[in-house]
Amino acid sequence: MTKFEYPELGEVLYKDRLSNGLTVCVVPRPGFSRKLAYFVTDFGSIHTDFTLEGREYHVPGGIAHFLEHKMFDLPGNRDVSAELAALGAGTNAFTSYDMTAYYITCTEHFEEALGLLLEFVSTPYFTEESVAKEMGIIDQEIGMNEDAPDSRCFENLMQSMYRQHPIRIPILGTSETIRQITPDMLYACHRAFYTPGNMMLCVIGDVDPNRVAEIALEILGPEERPVGQKLRPWQEDMTVAGENSRMEMEVAMPMFNLAFKAEPTGKGAAAIRQEIVADLAAEALFGESSRLYLKLYEEGRIDSSFGGGFETIDGMAMLLCSGDSDDSEGVRREILTQAEQLCREGIGEADFLRMKRSAFGRRIRDLDSFDSTCFRLCAYELSDFDYFDFPGIYRSVEATEIREFLRRVVQQQRCAMSVINPLKEEN
Amino acid sequence: MTTILELLPGITLRCFADSCFKQGCLSFAMIRPMCAQEAALNALIPAVLLRGTRKCPDLRSITLRLDDLYGATLGTQVRRVGDYQTTGLYCAFLEDRYALPGDQILGPMVDFLREVLLEPVTEKGGFSEAFVDSEKRNLIATIESELNDKRAYAMGRMIRSMCRADSFGIPRLGDAESVAAITAQGAYAHFQKILRESRIDIFYVGSAPAEKVAQLLMPMLREIDRNYVNLPDQTAFHDDGGGDLVEEMDVAQGKLCMGYVTPVTNRDEDFVPMQVMNTVFGAGMTSKLFVNVREKHSLCYAIGSGYYGSKGIVTVSAGIDFDKEQQTREEIGRQLDAIRCGDITDEELTAAKEALLSSLRGTHDSPGSIEGYYATAALSGMKLTPAAYMEAVRGVTKADVARMAGLLQPHTTYFLKGVSQ
Repeated sequence: MTKFEYPELGEVLYKDRLSNGLTVCVVPRPGFSRKLAYFVTDFGSIHTDFTLEGREYHVPGGIAHFLEHKMFDLPGNRDVSAELAALGAGTNAFTSYDMTAYYITCTEHFEEALGLLLEFVSTPYFTEESVAKEMGIIDQEIGMNEDAPDSRCFENLMQSMYRQHPIRIPILGTSETIRQITPDMLYACHRAFYTPGNMMLCVIGDVDPNRVAEIALEILGPEERPVGQKLRPWQEDMTVAGENSRMEMEVAMPMFNLAFKAEPTGKGAAAIRQEIVADLAAEALFGESSRLYLKLYEEGRIDSSFGGGFETIDGMAMLLCSGDSDDSEGVRREILTQAEQLCREGIGEADFLRMKRSAFGRRIRDLDSFDSTCFRLCAYELSDFDYFDFPGIYRSVEATEIREFLRRVVQQQRCAMSVINPLKEEN
Repeated sequence: MTTILELLPGITLRCFADSCFKQGCLSFAMIRPMCAQEAALNALIPAVLLRGTRKCPDLRSITLRLDDLYGATLGTQVRRVGDYQTTGLYCAFLEDRYALPGDQILGPMVDFLREVLLEPVTEKGGFSEAFVDSEKRNLIATIESELNDKRAYAMGRMIRSMCRADSFGIPRLGDAESVAAITAQGAYAHFQKILRESRIDIFYVGSAPAEKVAQLLMPMLREIDRNYVNLPDQTAFHDDGGGDLVEEMDVAQGKLCMGYVTPVTNRDEDFVPMQVMNTVFGAGMTSKLFVNVREKHSLCYAIGSGYYGSKGIVTVSAGIDFDKEQQTREEIGRQLDAIRCGDITDEELTAAKEALLSSLRGTHDSPGSIEGYYATAALSGMKLTPAAYMEAVRGVTKADVARMAGLLQPHTTYFLKGVSQ
């Protein structure tokens, strides 16, 4: 393991790429009792088209999430949750559009718990019976999601914005798509993407970095295996598919999601710079310190639920904001007007420095959170960037980049909005 | 590791010294007896305070001030702790050592807290009417948005009915009608009253020594015109009978909530065994409810139980298909009966204890969780430190768990179902 030091952040990172292709990161936290390990694969709900060993696969929407659920089954009726629980370790997992993460957290018996995590995620075991049963559970989860206005609002927005990109399909899939899932498809996805070369392991806590690497080699084996090649057949230009989506649900107040399409950021330092620029642009445009936020808040057109930022997912990026409002159309108009004004007048140097200092300070504070730091290290590492290098980017970003971003992205033709209104009173 | 200083009558500073973290936190809480007449007022006041001060008269100038403090956070904190409602502010900020040379954060942060508490924008003998009106709208929206999360909504409905004779049945933020009735003058007068009369708890986590924190706070505290009124003790559950409730709504999934009463509160010796019982029953992925009702019978996606130690109430909530209500109820009852009969495996007991131990060990791993544990324990009457709590968890036996389950009395149920066709 190679040691990297970041004195400005008070952080140390050990990192290595093992012979089997797995990237391992360890952030030691002496004096803390909690240990957290993330084992993630660069495979999420949008990766439904891929090739593996010369064969092309097109699998149903929702399969990454389905697979995540099924990974907790092990042969021989073993119950991995119970085994981890007996060690005092908690475990869980989540699937996003472009990543699936499994994690354990514990205070004692770390090495055994880590071993179990690596074992269960690398051991596929699916039967017709267990797959059929899971459909019932996931169908319930889909039902629960259908009653969740936040998710519905976002999913409707994605359908308005994108013509082809698979973000149009919910992470969970639909009742119809999950019915098509078979054990063979699950095995194929596992073979393609749950191979060390497509995964990473990140640990935070008072642990021995070399032991982490040794355990990973021991359980996953030393051999490198082929990784599935993702197909990204979608063609998306920077205009939106449709402008607005409206729906009625049991909500107390109208809510909206509003987004502007941006160019995908790609990978590496340039991508992260783009992300930091975009986040600062979001702050300048509609953050709490912006003139626009003050105006809209004082006029009662937004409340403290309003917020936003820059979102990047494989093959897409957007400037997104959301909140409750009786006048979402007005909010959209004001954002466009404010962006024009910012582009015309620019951002003052003192304001820009203050904004950077604030964003920078919040990022450092955020490093206290094991979960957020582990997640960010993984997400950035999968984008070929060392997260702890963010201070350098903050120092070098200039106000003109913010202006440039706003000029390019905050445009009517790139904008779509999704609104959920309360149900009309029945007569 | 906690230093407790009584700064003035009724004003206590608790300091938890820790230099592991990159950020510190400071909370300022006025403690009120939970009551319907002032719950909404108490919930509203901190939000109004955060709208502006004489020097920073609007939201933007407040945010700019916080930006200058390296993106510090100043937020409202309104909690329910048993029969009490706490209202106040919570600050989180970068430790001074990460600031640029010569910059300080803690000192200016306390100055700013003082300004927000003692120099609000006032007019006509009250708060700014514009601030009060817009924060009333926001608070009403927050209260009504409980409807958006159907699980929380269903649980709220059940608790309100179950605890109609108890302070626990008063919503933490009050109700929309009481918020609507608040005036700018009334709110200001109430704020002056609670600043004067309430017990005030201040909690600090960070690397500064307690004496220094006290020294920074004293000028502000001396400015308050105090007339401390003693706070009544916490009380047990006031029961006014239960029942079965059903509500219809246009939803895809049903929500079933069940409430049980027990005589065991967090001030009793049996508190820890009851907590272990709850964990075996329904907390986490190894609990009887999760393993049987969800995994074995596929009756639901989400299911869990909760134990409200301050009142001795145990609740169960499940998201289910509309036609599975009876079956789910029966299965939940069967799981509880199994525990009562001592039908608990070694694995179930170990897993439950380990889950509790693990979360207790993690108490000291973030400034927020340190503040959360110690600040609420001090108020609720729960006397255990995390270490003593863990020791007690280790000593719980199967017989204890079975005995605790035997103390659960079914009280109220609530079912949220789809609109009949």
